[in-house]
Amino acid sequence: DCPLDEDEDAFQALGEEDEDIDQFNDDTFGAGAVGESPSVTPTPPRARGSPRPAGLTPCPLADDDWQEAHERLAELEDKAGSSRGSDGPVGNDGDVLGDPEDALAERLTRLVIDSELEDPAIMQAVHTRDPPQQPGGLNSSIWDSSAVLRRIRGPLLAQEMPSVSVLDYALPQRPAQARDEERDPSERALPRRSSSPIIGSPPVRAIPIGTPPKQATIPNFNQQILCPKPVHIRATMQQRYPAPYGERMSPNQLCNVPNSSLLGHPFPHSVSPVLTHLQRAQLLGGAQVKLLPAGRMSPSQFARVSGLVGSPLPSVNPKLLQGRVGQMMSPAGGFRAFFGAPPAPPPSQLPHPPGPGSHLQNLRSVLSLSRRPGRSLPPSLTAPALPRPQPQMFRPDTTHLHPQHRRLLHQRQQQNRNQHRSLNGSGGDRGGHRSSHQEQIRKDPYANLMLQREKDWVSKIQMMQLQSTDPYLDDYYYQNYFQKLEKLAAAEEVHGDGPKKERTKLITPQVAKLEHTYKPVQFEGSLGKLTVSSVNNPRKMIDAVVTSRSEDDETKEKQVRDKRRQTLVTIEKTYSLLLDVEDYERRYLLSLEGERPALMGERKQKISDMYDNLRGKAPGQDRPSDDHFVQIMCIRKGKRLVARILPFLAPEQAADVLMATARNLPFLIKKDAQDEVLPCLLRPFSHVLYHLPLGTVTSLVQQLTNLPQSAAAPSNLHLTAVLQNKFGLSLLYLVLSRGEELQSSDTNTELMQDNQWTELMLMATRELLRIPQGALAKPVSIPSNLISLFSRYVDQQKLNLLETKL
Amino acid sequence: MNYMPGTASLIQDIDKKHLVLLRDGRTLIGYLRSIDQFANLVLHQTVERIHVGKKYGDIPRGIFVVRGENVVLLGEIDLEKESDTPLQQVSIEEILEEQRVEQQAKQESEKLKVQALKERGLAVPRADTLDEY
Repeated sequence: DCPLDEDEDAFQALGEEDEDIDQFNDDTFGAGAVGESPSVTPTPPRARGSPRPAGLTPCPLADDDWQEAHERLAELEDKAGSSRGSDGPVGNDGDVLGDPEDALAERLTRLVIDSELEDPAIMQAVHTRDPPQQPGGLNSSIWDSSAVLRRIRGPLLAQEMPSVSVLDYALPQRPAQARDEERDPSERALPRRSSSPIIGSPPVRAIPIGTPPKQATIPNFNQQILCPKPVHIRATMQQRYPAPYGERMSPNQLCNVPNSSLLGHPFPHSVSPVLTHLQRAQLLGGAQVKLLPAGRMSPSQFARVSGLVGSPLPSVNPKLLQGRVGQMMSPAGGFRAFFGAPPAPPPSQLPHPPGPGSHLQNLRSVLSLSRRPGRSLPPSLTAPALPRPQPQMFRPDTTHLHPQHRRLLHQRQQQNRNQHRSLNGSGGDRGGHRSSHQEQIRKDPYANLMLQREKDWVSKIQMMQLQSTDPYLDDYYYQNYFQKLEKLAAAEEVHGDGPKKERTKLITPQVAKLEHTYKPVQFEGSLGKLTVSSVNNPRKMIDAVVTSRSEDDETKEKQVRDKRRQTLVTIEKTYSLLLDVEDYERRYLLSLEGERPALMGERKQKISDMYDNLRGKAPGQDRPSDDHFVQIMCIRKGKRLVARILPFLAPEQAADVLMATARNLPFLIKKDAQDEVLPCLLRPFSHVLYHLPLGTVTSLVQQLTNLPQSAAAPSNLHLTAVLQNKFGLSLLYLVLSRGEELQSSDTNTELMQDNQWTELMLMATRELLRIPQGALAKPVSIPSNLISLFSRYVDQQKLNLLETKL
Repeated sequence: MNYMPGTASLIQDIDKKHLVLLRDGRTLIGYLRSIDQFANLVLHQTVERIHVGKKYGDIPRGIFVVRGENVVLLGEIDLEKESDTPLQQVSIEEILEEQRVEQQAKQESEKLKVQALKERGLAVPRADTLDEY
C-alpha cells in the first residue's frame, strides 16, 4: 500500500510520543497491533518492520505532498532498476543512478578548500565527474565524455536486461537514442566501482589511455546509406536467429557499393573501404538486442566487465547463447564483445554440434570484418592443415578458414572485381597506379583493418613522445645527428647551385617546461591536515632502515671489493661533472648576459671538484699518496676519464697528473695489459707537455726513467717496463722531444737545470743503448728531434746505433 | 604520406608480410595488421616456422597478438624472393622430430662440458655468478 508512508509517520511520531511508549507495547502485542486508528481499514503488513505508533492514520493527509513526492522518487528508482528500455530516454534513468557519483563529486568540490589545487591527480578526478554533454549525432565521437557514459552505466550496473523490442531500436524515430545507446557502450571507460577511490588516484580519464582516436567525420553519402539502415536490415531478419550468412548482405558488401570509387589508395584519407565499426554497428544495430530474453545481460554489458565473463549465464539456453554469439558484432557489442563475452567460456558452455556452425561462422566472418581480429576463435574451426597450393581460385593461405567463410571471402572478392571492372572505364584517368592498388586490395581482403585515423593516432603518440623540455639532454644523439645532417646540407647547398632538394626532416620540438609546485590538499572541516597520497605526493609506506656494516666484520676480499666499488662510484660522479663541464660552452651561448658569470663560476667549481675527485679528497699540504689516482687509472673508464678531463685542468694540476702517471707507470702498464687503453692518454699528455717548463720536464723524465738510480740496483726495471710498453715509450719520446725543444729554443735556462738535464740524458742514452732492440716497443710516433737530442750527448758511433734501434 | 622521416615506424609496414623473431626464440611469419604505441603486433594468417639445420617446417597458427616487449626484431618479407631459399621445407612432424634431436644433442654436449670442467676443478659458468665487472 504505502509502506513509505508508514515510515514517514513513524519518523514524525517518534518525536511526539515519548508519553506513548506503552502504546508500542500495545501495538506490538496488544490490540493495537491490528490498528487502533479510527479508520477501520486493515493495516497492511509492515514492509519495513517499523512499529507503527497508534493514533496515526496510515496516510495522514497533512503530509501528502512530500510523501507523495518521495514515493514517486522511490518508484522511479525502482523502475530505473527494472525496466530500462521501456521508459523514455535512457538518460533520465542513468541520471538517477548516476547521481550518487555526481553528488559525491559535488560534495568533494565543496569540501576542498583550495580551488586551484596543484595536485593534478586529485583535481582531474574531481573534474571529470561532470564534463559537458556532447552533442549527439553520427559525427560525434564514439568515445564520449563520461557523462554520456554514466547514462549507460546506470542500466548496466543494474544488471538486468532491458526488455527492448527490436523495433524500438530499429525505428528511425529514435535514431538519437539508438545512436546514443550504440555509441556509449562502445566507450572504453572502466565500469564504475562501488568504492571508487576518487581522492588521490590518478585522474579517471574519460578516454582511457589506450584508446584509439575519436571518430573522424564520416562523409555524407555514408550517412545516407547508414542512417535508415537499421530498419532495412531488421526487416530482413524475421527470425530470432540470423539468416545463414550467404543470404545476408554483409555490412562490407553494403559499404562496398558506394565506397568502391574510393578504393585505390591503400590509405584513403577519408573513408576506408572497410566499414568503421560505428557504421557497421549502425547497420547491425537492429540485431543487437533482440535475442536477449528478459533477465539476461545484453552484450553491451560484457564490455570491459571482464569479471562477468562466464558467470552471469548460468542457465542460458545454448541455442540462445549461440545466437548471441552470432550477434556479437553489434554496436554495443561491436567492439567490446570481443573483450568479455561468451566466446570466452564457450568451450565449456557451448555444445559443439554441427548446428552452431552457421552461427559461429557468422562470428568468424564478422570477426574478419571487424577491427579486432585478435579474438581467439573456437578451436573446432581452426584447421591444422598445412597450406597447400590450390588449383582453383581459393588462395592457399586461407585453407585454415572455414569453407563457408572462405566462400564468402571470395564472393566479396568477386564483387570487388565486378565493381572495379565497371569502374575502370570511368576511373580510367586515375591511372595504373590506382589499379595496382586496387589489385592489392582485391587480393588482400583483410587489408586496412587498421584505419587511417588509427595510424595517425599511433603516429601522434610517437610524435608526442618526441616532445621534450630539453631535447639536448633527452635526445642527445639525434640532435647531434640532425645538426650534422644540416651542416652537410648547408655545405652542399653552398657548393652546388643546383635545385634544392627538399627533404622532409623530423624536428623534435622543444616544449616549455612548466613548473608545478605541489601543495598538499586541505579539506574543509577537518582537524589538521589529512595525508592524501597521490601520484604527485607519494606516501612512505615502508620504513626502511639503513644499517651500516662494521669494519671488522668484513673480510679482506670484501674490503677490496668495496674499495673498487667506491672507485667506480667516484669515476661515475666525476664523469657527470665532466659532461656538465663540457656542456657549458653550449649553455654559455644560449644563456643571457647576466647569467654568464654565474655559469663560469659553476664551471670552475666543477672543474676543481673533478680534480679533487681524481686525486683524492682534501689531503694535506702535499699529496702523500697516489693511491686514489692509481686506483682510478686501473680501470678502463678511469683512464678515459682522465684523458677527457686533462684539457680542462690548470697547467699545474695537469702536470701533477702527469707526474703521478709517470711515477706509477710500470704498475699501470701491468694493469693495462688487457685493456690497452693507455695510449688514449698520449694526446692530452702531449698537449699538456707543450706548456710545461723545463724543470717539470726534467723531473718528468726522472720519474719516467727512474734515474738516477742507486748503484745497487742491478737493472732499471722501471725504465725497462716503460721502454717495453708502447705507451711508455711514446711518452718517453714525447717528453724527451719536449725537453729538446726547450733546450734548443730557450738559451736562458738555468744552469742548474741544464746540468740536471744533461746528466739525465746521458744516463738515458746509456740505458737505451743497453737494451736490446727486440725488447723495445713500437712507439706511436717518433718525434723528429730525437736524433738531434741524442747527438748532443753521444758520439757518432753510438748515434748510429741509436738510430738503428729507433 | 611520409610518416616521420628519419625515424623507424611500423606504420608503413602494415598489411605486409613480416617475419617476427620473439624473445623466446620463436619465428613467426604473418601479415602485420595492426600496431600500437608499444609495438604490440597483430599478425594475421600467422605461421610459426621452425628451423633445424637446412630444413624448416611451418605450423599454421592463425591470428597472433604479440606483446611488444617480446619482439626481438621483425622485418618485411619480399614476396618475390620468399621462395628463393636454399632451405628445404618439410612436414611438421619431421621438423619437430629434428628439433627434438637437436635439443638432445645440445644437452648432451653441455653435460659433457660441465663434466670436463668439474674434473679439472674449474668453475662452471653460470649466469648468476658471472664476474661483477
